[in-house]
Amino acid sequence: MQSNAALEYDYSVAKLFTYTTILFGFLGMLIGTLIAAQLAFPELNYLLGEYGTFSRLRPLHTNIVIYGFTLSGVWATFYYSGQRVLKVSMAESKFIMAVGKIHFWLYFVAALAAVVSLLLGFTQSKEYAQMEWPFDIVVVLIWVLWGIAMFGLIGIRREKALYISMWYYIACFLGIAMLYLFNNMSVPTYFVSGNVGNILHSVSMYSGTNDALVQWWFGHNAVAFGFTVPIVAMIYYFLPKESGQAVYSYKLSLLSFWGLMFVYLWAGSHHLLWSTVPDWMQTMGSVFSVVLILPSWGSAINMLLTMKGEWNQLTENPLIKFMVLASTFYMLSTLEGPIQAIKSVNAIAHFTDWIPGHVHDGVLGWVVFMIMAALFHMAPRMFKREIYSKKLMEAQFWLQTTAVVLYFTSMWIAGITQGMMWRAVDEYGNLMYSFIDTVTVLHPYYAIRALAGVLYLTGFLMFAYNMFKTMTSSRELSEEPQFRSPMA
Amino acid sequence: MFHWLEKNPFLFSVGVFLVIAFAGIIEILPNFAEASRPVQGLRPYTVLELAGKEIYKKDNCIACHSQLIRPFKAETDRYGQYSLSGEYAYDRPFLWGSKRTGPDLHRVGNYRTTDWHENHMWEPTSVVPGSIMPAYKHQFTNIADIETAYAEAVTVKNVFNVPYGDDIKPGKAAFEAYKPKILAEAKKIAADMKNKDVKDAVAAGKVPEVVALIAYLNSLGSDRYEAKK
Amino acid sequence: MNALVIKALAFAAILIVATLVVVKQMNIDLSDPINAITMLGAVAIAVLAFGVSAKYIAQMKTDKAQGELAEENWDGIGEYKNELPAGWAYSFLGTLIWALWYWQFGYPVNAYSQIGQWNEEVKAYNKKFEEAHKTTDKATLKEMGESIFLVQCAPCHGTTGDGLSGKAQDFTKRMTKEQILHVINNGQNQLGYPMGAMPPGMASGKDAEDIAAWIAGGMKGEQPAAFAACASCHGADGKGNNGMAPNLAEYDLTLVSHVLEHGKKGIIGRMPSFKTMITPVQEKALTEYIQSLKE
Ligand code: HEC
Ligand code: HEC
Ligand code: HEC
Ligand code: HEM
Ligand code: HEM
Ligand SMILES: [Ca+2]
Ligand SMILES: [Ca+2]
Ligand SMILES: [Cu+2]
Repeated sequence: MQSNAALEYDYSVAKLFTYTTILFGFLGMLIGTLIAAQLAFPELNYLLGEYGTFSRLRPLHTNIVIYGFTLSGVWATFYYSGQRVLKVSMAESKFIMAVGKIHFWLYFVAALAAVVSLLLGFTQSKEYAQMEWPFDIVVVLIWVLWGIAMFGLIGIRREKALYISMWYYIACFLGIAMLYLFNNMSVPTYFVSGNVGNILHSVSMYSGTNDALVQWWFGHNAVAFGFTVPIVAMIYYFLPKESGQAVYSYKLSLLSFWGLMFVYLWAGSHHLLWSTVPDWMQTMGSVFSVVLILPSWGSAINMLLTMKGEWNQLTENPLIKFMVLASTFYMLSTLEGPIQAIKSVNAIAHFTDWIPGHVHDGVLGWVVFMIMAALFHMAPRMFKREIYSKKLMEAQFWLQTTAVVLYFTSMWIAGITQGMMWRAVDEYGNLMYSFIDTVTVLHPYYAIRALAGVLYLTGFLMFAYNMFKTMTSSRELSEEPQFRSPMA
Repeated sequence: MFHWLEKNPFLFSVGVFLVIAFAGIIEILPNFAEASRPVQGLRPYTVLELAGKEIYKKDNCIACHSQLIRPFKAETDRYGQYSLSGEYAYDRPFLWGSKRTGPDLHRVGNYRTTDWHENHMWEPTSVVPGSIMPAYKHQFTNIADIETAYAEAVTVKNVFNVPYGDDIKPGKAAFEAYKPKILAEAKKIAADMKNKDVKDAVAAGKVPEVVALIAYLNSLGSDRYEAKK
Repeated sequence: MNALVIKALAFAAILIVATLVVVKQMNIDLSDPINAITMLGAVAIAVLAFGVSAKYIAQMKTDKAQGELAEENWDGIGEYKNELPAGWAYSFLGTLIWALWYWQFGYPVNAYSQIGQWNEEVKAYNKKFEEAHKTTDKATLKEMGESIFLVQCAPCHGTTGDGLSGKAQDFTKRMTKEQILHVINNGQNQLGYPMGAMPPGMASGKDAEDIAAWIAGGMKGEQPAAFAACASCHGADGKGNNGMAPNLAEYDLTLVSHVLEHGKKGIIGRMPSFKTMITPVQEKALTEYIQSLKE
């Protein structure tokens, strides 16, 4: 085994993506908090005229947190840990370095333009694929650039075997590439109609039920390859690295990975249960969703077992706390999802707040926790300073944990209640509740969720501040810490 | 065990790709031809309705409204007949939605009317106390982009063989020639409305967003079956 | 059991109890199979997710890392060659078996039809409520009517049936003077009564005013002489001549069912037809309820 210290890694691209992770994270969650508040207090819809309604802001929230925050986080961690597990520095290839930088800047400019276009109402209206066709083309370009950077680094690697994290980054790359392309296929109307109308407008290549199938084949797997696979990549690197513990079981890693790859794509039709897609396809969606529990839990359990015997670290290092809790929230959402995918349960759960509840177990408890922990871990190594404040991090941890619990418990109760109220009949067999009855009853839960948003956002601001101070004014380090991140 | 594969990034990537592409091929492809066939008697959206659908997309009603009635008694009692695949044949994109913060709208044309929508879009709480739906007052003054809607009709006709008449054809001139038909339809909607700005705009040959949107909402339901007429 | 696991299960229990309390407050019938399975699912999620993760976290305190390390090492990260955790492996097997069952017997891929199931559901429903729907007792009908009204009609007519200050028919009265004048002046032909159309101009000027005022006032006091023109169709008492023309005195079953069948466009606005959504029993119930709204 060679010494790691010999190699100087270059973090310039990782740093750039770190900044946008924080920027888009704040923006996305600010809007999330606002739309949460709007459902509890509808007057808040009119802060920004037609651009401020819940409906206009909701896709802005989802797009910014997914394509802004999460993707930035994925790339920040990739450009950081990729070099390290492949044992090769970006600085070794001018070409890869240049591709990395273009990757970032193209991404950043496109992201800002996309935010504006969505605010103006240019949308394909397919969830998580809203951006109109010119943006889709840029997205493809950005993706290709990332591919070149990643496979370029792999090409010149010193470490023969790919580490687990790399498996997942590669899968993320391939999965999104395939799915994004198919789902966004559309025909721009301007060209076909002989230059009539708006040039941004397009119609989907598929119609009706087919469009739905392609959309949720994509949508479900956007979750899989955006919110799951690259986050698993992160935890496999950052948890063992921060704790200094060896990964519990190679076999478990292997089975979980290939299990996940094989099963995930089949489950997409659980978004279309009781719809007009054929019955057999729906059943496949339910079946594979349940089978998916164990490959998902496999990674989480592998990580929790990696920390066997390390209770001290858990209590003393808030960074470990974040990652351990992230694993458990991952377990929660990957059990909740499959159970919601059972046809009888979905009859209640679909269309209700129980789904956003499930979503945010995953994104707030798993995705954001993991990304923040990763950036915290990277900061002392990238900026050569110790983390500014451990106390602040501890406080942030408890604040945000409270927020996630409030979010998912309130939406859990709200969703189940609403779903059952929609079905309820009175003693004569007539519907018991008018639709509006099932809306007003949710007010307290919406208010609690809005409060959760405020708490979580506050926590994120604490994170941003802590990072900012770490970059600018924390105590400098003379040498890179091997495992545990130093913090004041 | 699999270690050799992890040392060969190329084969590894091919392996991952095959494993993930497999499901799509088996699950998605077989159904494709069948699911795009329209049910008997279904007519395509009129250009005005298409313009309304664009408002529906732009103001993103799909954030709160579904258009998919599931086959449960409770649901068919509330919204009417469960949805059929062939009813969506002209829906590009599909607008089923995934969240019902408000009620399903797939057949809302059957049980709500122009004047009700006018009141409701202007101020939802004026008809449904306790509603948390935003008011969409700007739709009463913003002008709908019927030109782009026309372009959409041309596109789906030429590319996907949607059965529109011969008067839907490419080019700005063709659009101008077609425009009176759109306006005539808009006038019918405006006649059932009270808002002065809207009536004035339509009289002046413009189509406020809300008029197009209401045309679209009214089309959701049995209005699109020729059999009914 | 470990303290952490107990805490986790306690949290799960609180969540489930809270859910049950809220749901019960809304009079939800938990014996409905869909509701029951959903609650079971919720219990499974809470207990397993919190319980199992707490079990593993607790091991951090009690257990020790051990095993044979692989030769490889990435950026200082090692890897044990440990076996699969048995619980995980058996559960995986368990879900596979469940999957086969669901696939072959739960919702057999080659036999199950959701539309078929809907037909069954409707049949079962009809059987269950057949008795309730035979009712003719006025009080029951009114109660039944109220809940139908709140679901189907209240969005236009308001929860109190007052027409939301002029946005739809106000059921506390029969018709307003303007509505009646509108019909007299324009005639009307949309409700499908045996008489067919009512022609415009059956009365005019002051006569029309008087008739309209009298009908709108609840037909109290002396009948205007000009009402004779109306009586030929609507009956001397204005009650519709046994269903030949609309009852102008009150909302009777004939009127309600004609309106529900055909919808109505009047001076206030347009009401859609509810032909496909309202059953005959429900029509009776709605009539009973609407009549009860009279001031
Ligand atoms: C914040 C969520 C929200 C948004 C966004 C929203 N709605 Fe609604 N909508 C509701 C709620 C809640 C109701 C039920 C209460 C009511 O009727 O106002 C409703 C009811 C309706 C109804 C009546 C349906 C019925 O069966 O009574 C129509 C039609 C409607 N909305 C159309 C729209 C359109 C068109 C848009 C977009 C321009 C839109 N809504 C945006 C929440 C929303
Ligand atoms: C030739 C027969 C005839 C005569 C005469 C007649 N009506 Fe009618 N009236 C009808 C019919 C038939 C309808 C139902 C029309 C429809 O289907 O919409 C009706 C409807 C109405 C309605 C609307 C009721 C509702 O609930 O929509 C009013 C009000 C009314 N008549 C008042 C009068 C008055 C007042 C007069 C006399 C000045 C009059 N009618 C004379 C046949 C007549
Ligand atoms: C979309 C709105 C809407 C809905 C839903 C609606 N109505 Fe109406 N209804 C109206 C309007 C508007 C009028 C007044 C029409 C006029 O005379 O201008 C009306 C009138 C009526 C009348 C009086 C008609 C007459 O000729 O005197 C009856 C009876 C009635 N509605 C019953 C019902 C019942 C019962 C329901 C529910 C099953 C219902 N309505 C649902 C809008 C609605
Ligand atoms: C085993 C893994 C999982 C399964 C089987 C699963 C299953 C489901 C199901 C059944 C739905 C609801 C569909 C509906 O009725 O509308 C859903 C929605 C969703 N889930 Fe999961 N889930 C899993 C894991 C996750 C994770 C880990 C995340 C995020 C980190 C996530 C994010 C989402 C999102 C964003 C939606 C909403 C999609 C929409 O817009 O409708 N899921 N999931
Ligand atoms: C402060 C934190 C946040 C708050 C308060 C918040 C709030 C909300 C609200 C109110 C909705 C709409 C739910 C509805 O329509 O009923 C939503 C949707 C969504 N949010 Fe968030 N959010 C937050 C953070 C995030 C983050 C960090 C992510 C991803 C990384 C995320 C991903 C999503 C997704 C995917 C949806 C769509 C879910 C669906 O369609 O089912 N959110 N959020
Ligand atoms: Ca797109
Ligand atoms: Ca959604
Ligand atoms: Cu999914």
